[in-house]
Amino acid sequence: MHVYEKLGLDVRHPPVPAPASAPVHAPSQRSLRGLDGFNFFIANVQTGFGPFIAVYLTAQAWTQIDIGFVLTLSGIVALACQVPAGILVDTATHKRTLAAIAATAIALSALMLAAWPILPFVLGAEILHGVASCLMTPVIAAISLGLVASHEIGERLGRNARYAAAGNGIAAILMGACGRLISDRAVFVLAALLAIPALVALFHIRSREIDSARARGGLPSANARHSPLHGIADNRPLLVFGAGFVLFSLANTPMLPLVGGIMTMRSSQWATVLIAACIVVPQIFMAIMSPWVGRRAETWGRRPLLILGFAALPIRGVLFALIGSPYLLVVVQILDGISAAVLGVMLPLVVADVTRGTGRYNAALGTVGMAAAAGASLSTTMAGYVYDRLGSAVAFISLAGVALLGVGVLLLFMPETRPAER
Amino acid sequence: MRPVRHAVLMAVAVFAGWLVVADGGHGTPRAEAETAVSPGAPAAVLTKDKAQAILGKPVTSTTGEAMGRIVDVIVDKAGTTRAAIIDFGGFLGVGSRQIAVDWSALHFSPAGQPERITLDLTRDQLKSAPQYEKGKPIVVLGASGKTQPLTAGEYPLD
Repeated sequence: MHVYEKLGLDVRHPPVPAPASAPVHAPSQRSLRGLDGFNFFIANVQTGFGPFIAVYLTAQAWTQIDIGFVLTLSGIVALACQVPAGILVDTATHKRTLAAIAATAIALSALMLAAWPILPFVLGAEILHGVASCLMTPVIAAISLGLVASHEIGERLGRNARYAAAGNGIAAILMGACGRLISDRAVFVLAALLAIPALVALFHIRSREIDSARARGGLPSANARHSPLHGIADNRPLLVFGAGFVLFSLANTPMLPLVGGIMTMRSSQWATVLIAACIVVPQIFMAIMSPWVGRRAETWGRRPLLILGFAALPIRGVLFALIGSPYLLVVVQILDGISAAVLGVMLPLVVADVTRGTGRYNAALGTVGMAAAAGASLSTTMAGYVYDRLGSAVAFISLAGVALLGVGVLLLFMPETRPAER
Repeated sequence: MRPVRHAVLMAVAVFAGWLVVADGGHGTPRAEAETAVSPGAPAAVLTKDKAQAILGKPVTSTTGEAMGRIVDVIVDKAGTTRAAIIDFGGFLGVGSRQIAVDWSALHFSPAGQPERITLDLTRDQLKSAPQYEKGKPIVVLGASGKTQPLTAGEYPLD
């Protein structure tokens, strides 16, 4: 029984052949290398943000209440800006300029944090960073879509994920060492400095090689309804994928912080190194696997890979619940690398598949991102609560259950979204 | 366009360099003791060799291992300091735990080392202590490495 037929996918979202009006020029090597570098260095810059902010502000004699306030506010900004940022990226014709503005804003926020760690500047920096980050994800995806032909997009997104993972992994080690050996403040100075090679790489991308219409998933057809939610709320494959991805994020996000806390409890001498390994090991696997995922997505289709990436998560949750040795926990993190490689490529790819011809690619990407981020922040609190009351095994098994639900949604309702052969 | 871009990048680099230099490592003293004492109210002058602010300060074991940073101080109803909350462990903010340690296990400026705070506990003793949580009874890790709950009524529960 073909689920796709039941959904009537072929009627409502016929596979769109690659546009006949493909740009005359294939993207130059210079542009492609530039995009590689931009992914790498932006991932570098972003690593210092996130949980490390709390460490830095603690060292600056901030109270836990103020730190909590700043983190909550930046979380809200990061949530609220996703969809508007996506719409902005859809409408903006100068994608490269937008990427440059976002990169500069992130660098500026790092400098603000380093220079004046007082409330107004930290708040300003976090808001600036939140808005810029919301722009960064869709603008990189849009530049990629605009640069390469539609049958090469899987491979391109695989490369994006590879360089982003390499950037994250290397920066985690670099910044961890920097915080230990120089100062916590130096981490943000380093983050700001790494924005310079990011911008240099960005300007290697030739702006005229970016097809603006293709970057937003093709122009909306003339008879498309001009409702603000067209292509999103009425897009069943997008909603199914979004629901699956939200469940994935719900289960995935709390796992690393929980494992980190357990490492600190179980190992005194090696905890720091083991937690670092838990962060870096998945990035290594993601860097190795992502291009393969991108290529296989074009030959095997999206569904088998999505199921692989989603199924690795419940297995990881169960293994975390069963395994006591902190060293083996690091090995289990390989599964995180598999999930991250698949999702890192599939999120922008599947959304591109299902929004082709709507002109709302980035708005859709932002919507899925917002839903996932909302779920993730909620579940981190909830998983922490379960962990405190009922212990780590129950917490991990519950998360594995949520992840399994995500696999179920995918298996039952997700159609194959790979466009038909030309 | 290009010269402008380079000038901006240069300016950012110079500014960042200044930040690293100006930072000068850990814990530079914020301000000298206030010398102007307001007339009328009695005031004591505490110089930095006599007293120090402790929020956010790093704590080490007696053998010099990093033990985390002080993030809060617990006092009982009499105003006596009972415990310090230490943010312990983790990497880049992932996996750190907050643990209450007995105030008497902390030593400030030991052996004439100003600005140093040591703790009479090892990382092994600290790692498995129960986590400190707001609104719940505080379990304090004593100098012997044994935990003891602060008895009810001695601490304000918010």
